[in-house]
This record gives sequence, structure tokens and C-alpha cells, in this order.
Amino acid sequence: MSGTFLARLGKLWLALILFFLYAPIFVMAFMSFNASQYYQLPFEFSLKWYEKLAGNTEIIDAATRSVGIAIITTIIATILGTAASVALFRFEFRGKRFLQVMLFPPIAIPWLITGTAMLIFFFGIGLGRGTPSVIIGHVALALPYVIVVVSARLATFDATLEEAARSMGADGWTVTRRVTLPWISSGIIAGALFAFAVSFDQFVVSYFLSEPGDSTLPVLIYTSIRKGFTPEINAISTIIIVVSMAVMLVAARFSNFGGER
Amino acid sequence: MNKPIILAATLAISATGTAVLADEIRVLNWQGYGTDLGWAVDAFSKSTGHTVIHEYFNSEQEMLTKLRTNPGAYDVVLINAAFTPQAQGEGLIGPVDAASIANLADVPENLKGNEDLNAGGALHGVPWTWGLTSFAVNTNEVDELPTSIEVFWDTAHEGKVSIRDDALEAVQFAAIATGQDINNITDLDAIEAKLSDLMPQIKTYWGSENDWNQFMAAGDLDVATFWSGSASRSMAAGLPVQFIVPQEGAIGWLDGLSIPSSSTKKEAAHQFINWMIDPEFYVKWAAEGAPASANAKAAAALPDDAFNKRVLGDPEVVARVQFQRPVSDENREKYLELWQSLKAAQ
Amino acid sequence: MSTVLANQERLRIFGLLSPAYLWLTVAIFLPLSAMLYFSFLSEVPFGDAEWSHTTENYEAFFQTSTYAILLWKSIRLGLIVTLVSVLVGFPCAYVLAKVIKGRSREALFLLVILPFWSNSLVRIFSWAIVLRGNGVLEIGLNAVLPFEVDVNLMFSTPAIVIGLVHSYLPYIILTSYLALQAIDDNLIDAARSMSANKLTILWRIILPLSLPGLLAGAVLIFVPVVGSFMEPRILGGRVGTYFGTVIEDQFVAVYNWPLGAALSFILLAVVLLILAVASPVLRRAQT
Repeated sequence: MSGTFLARLGKLWLALILFFLYAPIFVMAFMSFNASQYYQLPFEFSLKWYEKLAGNTEIIDAATRSVGIAIITTIIATILGTAASVALFRFEFRGKRFLQVMLFPPIAIPWLITGTAMLIFFFGIGLGRGTPSVIIGHVALALPYVIVVVSARLATFDATLEEAARSMGADGWTVTRRVTLPWISSGIIAGALFAFAVSFDQFVVSYFLSEPGDSTLPVLIYTSIRKGFTPEINAISTIIIVVSMAVMLVAARFSNFGGER
Repeated sequence: MNKPIILAATLAISATGTAVLADEIRVLNWQGYGTDLGWAVDAFSKSTGHTVIHEYFNSEQEMLTKLRTNPGAYDVVLINAAFTPQAQGEGLIGPVDAASIANLADVPENLKGNEDLNAGGALHGVPWTWGLTSFAVNTNEVDELPTSIEVFWDTAHEGKVSIRDDALEAVQFAAIATGQDINNITDLDAIEAKLSDLMPQIKTYWGSENDWNQFMAAGDLDVATFWSGSASRSMAAGLPVQFIVPQEGAIGWLDGLSIPSSSTKKEAAHQFINWMIDPEFYVKWAAEGAPASANAKAAAALPDDAFNKRVLGDPEVVARVQFQRPVSDENREKYLELWQSLKAAQ
Repeated sequence: MSTVLANQERLRIFGLLSPAYLWLTVAIFLPLSAMLYFSFLSEVPFGDAEWSHTTENYEAFFQTSTYAILLWKSIRLGLIVTLVSVLVGFPCAYVLAKVIKGRSREALFLLVILPFWSNSLVRIFSWAIVLRGNGVLEIGLNAVLPFEVDVNLMFSTPAIVIGLVHSYLPYIILTSYLALQAIDDNLIDAARSMSANKLTILWRIILPLSLPGLLAGAVLIFVPVVGSFMEPRILGGRVGTYFGTVIEDQFVAVYNWPLGAALSFILLAVVLLILAVASPVLRRAQT
């Protein structure tokens, strides 16, 4: 590029954006190590909020519940989503385009609407609030992501591989097990990690569906923030952010998300 | 992995079992309002074996909706007597067995017999505490203690004022400012105009006591509505605030403890309520700051310089208090609409 | 023979697809239908409540100006947040796609996208910590600037906008980046060799070619922002009442689910309208 000045300006802009994106998160995390309950400065290093956190059964229960729900969601969404992706990729049939479009509502409709609709429906059929309702909702939100990610990986699949296997006498199931699945396994792992992230970070739908006393971590954080917050929330938030960013970094490795390599 | 489900199953099984000694009861209350004091809950657990879990609400409306949409989730709920008839009418709470609450004997007849708490012809709420909704000022920011509610409209405090985001409380607050009867508001237009003038003064709505204290500690607010019990607690904690009962008057309320009709642990719930109106608990609580107790023995046990004796024991102050009564559905809707449109216009 | 195979195949397709789509039906499409039905009821029809069919929930939207004002307020918020995100995010995506080369590009791109996958609630909470008066922002600015500044952005519309831009900025960077990356560098070089100036290149080549990605990102931002309620609640204070918060109130506090359902559907209609308008462009972006 000829305009080195412009290029430099651009890089500066990028640096500013990164600062904007990360600074508040660092400040928040920083404050979890500050002794003052009212976030007063000067900074005084302390681990007391993490110690308090370790003794807070409510938060720990909510965290375990969140992880449990995320794992169950991941398993269900990954299996159902992979199956659907394989069908959408391998077969041509009428209505396929329609089915693909049907994946968008869970992503495109504001969660406020989906969440309240689920609340109404689950009450209507007598299921009410609670962990089962939350899992049903989370799986539905995670499914489209799994299908999109696995399909993207399938699209790079060379169909002649399957044909070669078949011509050597392998039956359909063997071909799927020995050829197709290994090929798309990195896509499946990425899809699973996305599903985990979607569930673990999900707030709105959980907010409307979780039962009092059985809330997930984000719901607990929201109610705590509205009651006036303490650095304990900073501490748990810091842990959450580290966990979800770590999950996404791993997901990115598997999904080749960074564009061309 | 299936932990929540297994846990739920075990809970369900243990709940249906007959010889259950220890229960886990769920209490629905404002945050930081007595029932969730760590030492009190610990002592209760030690004495009875029951454990206590808390869930909080930000408004009476929210409390009622939590009861409606989570049947079976709660065992004890705090309800302002003005809302007890509504909760009873909707079948959300059941009658209390007075015989199994020994400390009820020390509650004066006029409170025990309170018309609203006895909605439906039986005691549905055990009188627990009473107090005032008025306001407090930040003494670091306000030099001279105001005597009039008009301080909320003083432009010197623009952007440093707060009230709660609650239609009923906002309307009744403005009723006091416009010299009306809070239970029989005749000039709603005047209230709308008064509140509309108030809006630009407001920085934010406060949601809980903890919230309120943080704003005051940070110097974000000069003056904000507050409850007498909470104010005494904030002062005891060393915050630079002073509770004011202005010449225009204040809102009075009586809070009762009720048992949801869907509760499956009614016995433990009765034990908890009895524990909560015990004078011994109350005196300890009052030392940290508490509203006035409905228990005569408890109130008598307070030292003379206690906040509740000083402020609420003053007949001149009590004469200015208007006690809240139930609000009709029609009025409630009107107030809600008014408050919503004012908020929307911001 | 062929019909047997076709049947077998059909069975297989059905077996693979039905679990996922059954799940989506139960969790998304039936609930939306139930909500549509609810929006025409007079009362919540549980327990022994008396209820009837009515259109008054939709009429309520038009009877007072409250809801229309709030809906407009939410749409305006959506527009502002989208516009700011585009102005801030597009140059950033351009730098990533066209200025930075080699290995660092991938790492930087990942770094930009990463916060998007962390909990949005936690990030809004971070801003609440930063923006409070006597907060870190003020201390930081006063340490750098030679004069005293008094920044108290908490509980204001700018606070909501900042929080929402922070939440959704990675969307626009992601979609623009993908679109910009697809533009052949040779095309730009060719234009330059014909001595087109930078503005012309931007206006005639880069913008038109990356427009689908840009619009896709804009829609992805606009839609959730119009329905946001948590961010205004936490950062907005007195000015934090929006269409989304009123819907939340109907479900969580006021217990007027039918009205909440009707308001949700009005919001959904607005969202669908916007998606419909944008869809021709979006379809182009897919291909």
C-alpha cells in the first residue's frame, strides 16, 4: 500500500478498537482483586472476593448448574445437529431450502421474543419453569449454530472419497463411520464448542425459563446486579469470561474460523 | 452431568416422604430485609434443623407474579398488608395457623385483627414489622436538613434525586406532595403534573437497599425516598444519611409474613415465622437497624435511644403518617399507565 | 427396485432430520404460535381465571401514545447503535482484511471476535463499573488530561449506546471482514494503475463489493438491539425505559402476559419487516 500514513492510521484505529473491546473487561477483572467493597481506589490487592465466592453456595450451585446444562445442551445439540447437517448435505429433496431457512428464526428473532414465547408455551403445556425447560430452549438456540458449522465443514468434503470407499465394498454405515465422520470431526468438535458457548452464555431465555432457586449463573448475576453489586460478582464474572474465552479459542482452532490459512 | 435432574428427583422424593425432619424452606422477601440476616438464619437452622434459601423481589408486583408463576417454589413470603387481600383473593396465600405461632400472643390485638391481614375472614399474614416510606438526605451533600418534601423538586439537586421504580409508590409519594389522601386520590392530573416535574431531577431508580447504600456512599445522590427501617440500618452502618419525615407527611405500611397456599413445608414455614417475630431476634436486629416490630414485647425491649423509639415513638410524627390500604384493580391499572407513560416520555 | 431405494432414502432423510426439526418445532415454532394465540386473550388462562378472545391487547398499543413512543425510541436506539457500529467497525475490518498481512492478521481477527463470545451480561456489567461517577474512566482521564474533567456517563443514553456498541461491534467487523477479504486485490491494483484516487476506489469498488456483508452485519446488530432490555436496565437508569423493558415488565412484574405477547408480536412484525426489506441484499451476500 502506497499511503503508509493511512496504513499507520488504520493500525492505530485497530489498536483503539481492541482497547475499547478489552479495557472494560480488564477493569472489571481488575476490580475483583480490589479490597474495597465500594470499588474505591487506590487499588489494594486482595483475594477476599474469591475467598467469599468459594464459600457462596448459591453462586457455586448456579455455576455447576450452568455447566451441567451447557454439557447436556452440547451433547443433544451436537448429535441432532450433525445428523441434520449430514442429511441436508448428502440428499437432494423437496423442501430442503425451506428447512434451511427454518434455521434462522432461533438466531434472528430477538431472544426476548423467543424467551417469552417459550415461557408461555411451557406454562400452557404444564411443564412450567425449571431446568428441563431451560435445556429445551438452549438446545433449540444452539442447533442452528451446530448445523451451520458442521455444514461448512461438510462442504469441503470430497464426495469421491465416499465413492471410492463404496466401490471397495463398504456399506453405507461403514462409509459414514470410517470416511465421513472422521473428515468432519473437527467441524463437529467446533460445533459442540459453539453449542457449549451458546448455552453457557445464554441469559435471556434462561432468565424467563429458570425456576427460582434453580437459576443459572447469568440469571443470578443479573438479579444481583439489580440489587446493587459487590466485587464478588466481579470475581465470578472474571472466571466466566476466562472460561468462555478459552472455550472459544479452542473452538476457533477447530473450525478454522480465522478465514484462510 | 445429570446432577440438576438427579438433585431435583431426590428433592421430590424427600419432599413426599413422611418422616422428614429437616426441610429446606424458600423465603421470598426484599433483599436485606431481616429474614436473610446470616446470624439469624444460622441460629434458626441450628435450632430446628431446617435450612433457609432466599429469593428477592424488586416490587410488590413482581412478588405477586413470582407467586403466580412459580407455584410450590416458596414457603414464606413477605407481603405488605395493602397487598394481602389481593394475594388472598387470587388464592396465592393460605390462612396461617395462629396456634402454632407462640409469639403471636405478644402481638397487640389491633395488629392481629388488622382488616387487611385478615382478608377472607382468617389471618393470612402474621404482623411482623411496620414503618414509613419517606426519604433520606445525604448529609455530605445537603447542608441544612429539609423539612419539606419539596426538596425533591429543588433544582439545586437536579440529577441527584432517586425514587423507586414502582407505580404505586410513585403515585402515593406525589399524593403526599400534592396534599392528597394516598388511599383516596381525587386529582390524578395534579399527580401526573407533579411527577412529570420530578422526572428531570431523577438520576436513576433505586432497586434495593444495597443499591441505595452504594449510590449514597458514592455521593451519586443527594436525596432519595427510603424506608424507615432501612434508613436506620444505613445510619447504623455509618453512611452520612439522615431520615426525614417532612411536614407534608409520609406513607405508613405494615408488613406481614404469609405462607403460600402451594407451600409443601408449612410446618417449617410456621416455625420460621415464629422465629422472626421473636423479641430476642428483633432486639438484635434493631441494633443493626430495623423497622418497628409488631411484637409489643419486642418493641418494649428496645433501648430509649433506638431509632424506632425516637422517630416512630413521636406522636407528632405518627400524626403525619397515612397508612396504606389496598388499592382497587382499576386504580392500580390507572397508576401503572400513568407511571409507564411518564417513564416512556424520558 | 428404485422405489424401494427411494423409500429407504426417504426414511433415512426423515430419520436424520426429524429429531432436530422436531426439537425446533417444540422449542421455537409452537411457542411462537402459542404466543400469537395468547396475544388475543383477555386474561392469562391458567387456574380458574375467566378469559375471552379479544383484540384489545393490540388496541392498547394504539390507544395511548406510550407504546408507540417506546417502540420508536427502541428503533431509534437500534439505528444509532447500528450506525455507530458501522462507522467504527468497517474501517477496522478494512484494516484487518487489506492492510495487515501475514500471520498476525489471523491472530488479530480472532482477538477482535473473541469478546463477542464472552457473556454479554458480564460485559455490560463491566461498563457499569467503568462508567460510574468517581469511576475508573474519570480517574483515568484525569490522570492523562491536564485539566479536571467530570465524566459521569452512567445512567444516560450514551451509556446505553456505548454498552450496546461494545456488545455488537464484533458482528459488523466479522461480516465486513469476510466480504472485504473476498475482493480481489488485483482489482484494486488495476484501478490504482489507472490512477484512480483513493476515494474513488473506496466509493466505486470497495464499498459496492462489500455492501452485502456490511448490510448483513447491520441487520444482525439492529435486530437484537431493538429487542434489548437488559442493557438499558443496567446502564440507562431514568432514561432506560424501552420497548423491550416494557415487554419484560409484562412478563416478570405486571403479569399481563397477553399484553406482553401482543407487544412482542408487534416487535416481531417490525423485525420481520426489516429482515424482508434487507433479504434481497442478504441473499446476494450468501452467494
